[in-house]
Amino acid sequence: MSNFTIRKRTADTVDVLELVGELDAHTASHLEDSLKSLIELERYNIVVNCTELAYISSAGLGVFMAYIEDVRSLQGDIKLTNMSPKVYNVFDLLGFPTLYDIVDTEEEAIVMFTS
Amino acid sequence: MSSNNEQMDSRHARYELRTLLDTSRMLIESHDLGFVLNNLLLISMGKLFSLRACILLWDPIKKDYEVAKNKGKTGLFEKQRMNLSLSDNLKSKSVILCPQDDDGSVPETFKKSGFCALFSIRTSAQHIGYLCIGEKANKELFTEQELNFIENLVNVSAVAIANSQLVRQLRTTNLQLDRRVQEMHTLFDLSKEFNATVDLEPILRIFKFALLGQMFIRSFFFLLKRKGSDAEVVVQNGMKGEFTGDEMDDLLKIKQTVTRTGDSHRQKFPMLETNKIEALIRLELQDEVAIMGVGARATNEIYTESDFNFLSSLGNLAMLSVQKTYLLQERIEMERLEEELTIARTIQQKLLPDPLPKLEGLQVAASNVSSQQVGGDYFDVIKNGNDAYIAIADVTGKGIPASLLMANLQAMLHVLTPVESTMSEATGRINDIIYKNTPSDKFISFFWGRYDLKSGELTYVNAGHNPPLLMREAFSEPELLSEGGVLLGAMPTMMKYQTGTIALECDDVIVMYTDGVSEALSETEEEYGEERLNECVKNNVSLDADGILYAILEDVKEFTNNQYSDDITVVVLKKC
Repeated sequence: MSNFTIRKRTADTVDVLELVGELDAHTASHLEDSLKSLIELERYNIVVNCTELAYISSAGLGVFMAYIEDVRSLQGDIKLTNMSPKVYNVFDLLGFPTLYDIVDTEEEAIVMFTS
Repeated sequence: MSSNNEQMDSRHARYELRTLLDTSRMLIESHDLGFVLNNLLLISMGKLFSLRACILLWDPIKKDYEVAKNKGKTGLFEKQRMNLSLSDNLKSKSVILCPQDDDGSVPETFKKSGFCALFSIRTSAQHIGYLCIGEKANKELFTEQELNFIENLVNVSAVAIANSQLVRQLRTTNLQLDRRVQEMHTLFDLSKEFNATVDLEPILRIFKFALLGQMFIRSFFFLLKRKGSDAEVVVQNGMKGEFTGDEMDDLLKIKQTVTRTGDSHRQKFPMLETNKIEALIRLELQDEVAIMGVGARATNEIYTESDFNFLSSLGNLAMLSVQKTYLLQERIEMERLEEELTIARTIQQKLLPDPLPKLEGLQVAASNVSSQQVGGDYFDVIKNGNDAYIAIADVTGKGIPASLLMANLQAMLHVLTPVESTMSEATGRINDIIYKNTPSDKFISFFWGRYDLKSGELTYVNAGHNPPLLMREAFSEPELLSEGGVLLGAMPTMMKYQTGTIALECDDVIVMYTDGVSEALSETEEEYGEERLNECVKNNVSLDADGILYAILEDVKEFTNNQYSDDITVVVLKKC
């Protein structure tokens, strides 16, 4: 079993998901559930903090693809922060920086939402 | 004065050398093509006091030039492609000056742009392109010294350009390699995950995410056609609208492995247009066919051959796993059916008398073996006051349909036996009901007798059943009990069933059996037959009813080497 957990925090109008461990085919649905429940609660300003994300597979990236348009059509966004170079490389390789805001710190992302 | 001029010249020369040196150092260190080209242009324009200039780079694959950098009003634009078709003479020159060097092969558009000098950019190994410079702002001619300087600068830059081109190529190759590695990871990750999963839903979900993530797409569909069922979209994302059944069938008719959707496809299938489906990939696995449609990529990149390879691999992997889950579901379904059959069997067993009722003065032994879990053979012994009814029946066919009819017959017998009526009338009524209840190809061969416990008289009706054997010690050959009429369920009762009557004597033996006995096959496909049965009964007639039954079953078992293929039922009566 891969070890993967998601810690949820709420900072004002923004919800922060901290991904911890390895996000692969096995754990992708875990992230999906988290995103879905935020959307159901009408919380569309989502920051995904990747400080402790050790690995991400294509299936993990696919979850972001599957929900980004839904969230944006509801005037929200998913912003990704604090990626290790290794994780960033995977995002970069598949072209994610063209579609997603990927910033260095969680604070920057929150400011982008609130200003 | 002259020494002053000389001084000026040497200072100038030193300055130029320094520029060259600095530029060359800077250029060699830079692997950024844009920076190198920009520098070359700016220095040249500054040095030559020119208002327009551009750099053309030779594309060895497309065999033409591309405007890589353009400055000033040249009428050209960056990324514009052009053919130069210069004469061999001009091609060999390191500097082409217009109009004096033009032998007519300098293109018209070029002259219009006002370029008056073309510097060939080349390394010792290859031609890279041209630096094109417009005339001086003050319309003066270029001096020898100026041209020399630019030539030197171009030479230095040529190496830097070649280097940065190489670096760029390497980067592209590396990126592609990294992507392949990532694709491998994805496939590996998925096959691991699919193997650990037996449910359809998570497999499809993981497949969806991997596809979206790896291809960086929003919309796709996966259409699957399994043998014996309708085509259906088993998983999709971001698709607006739905395919009709006909559209799905038509999509599956596309035989090409990879189809880039053109206008004709998009007209035929509006869904492809609506959802910007760019390519269709056909997958085949045994009897299953699937079509995977993928939408535009978020990066606007077009799908490459290697993308299609990946998509096919991913699709095949998913299809295999989906098939696996279907097979598993089918197996579970089978097991459930088996379980139900086991219950049905228990019920059916209860329809047979167990234990057999004790009859005064008549030994009864019976056995029923089904080749399947439930069967169509039936026997019964029902005691009713001074009478005992003994019946045997064989429903055509096997399995569940036969067992249902058998249950139906059993119910009728138990209802009818207590009712006062003749055996002939009762058989006629049973036949009418069976005829009404069954399809025309279902019959029951049926034999039953009413035995008077006091008088020892047996009245029987044989409705198309293998005639039971009556073995009397006094006779060497068995008597066949065949009075009666047609099979039950074949036609409405029009002729009365005939009855036979026998007065049973002590030690008389009656053997009733179904055709599973007489038609039991040996390994060489030979039938057991009535002869063998007669022989066996004759040889064992002195035994009690149980002994005779056992002897018959053993004989059949031995004959068939314990491989029955049909239901086998035997009832033995012995009067004592």
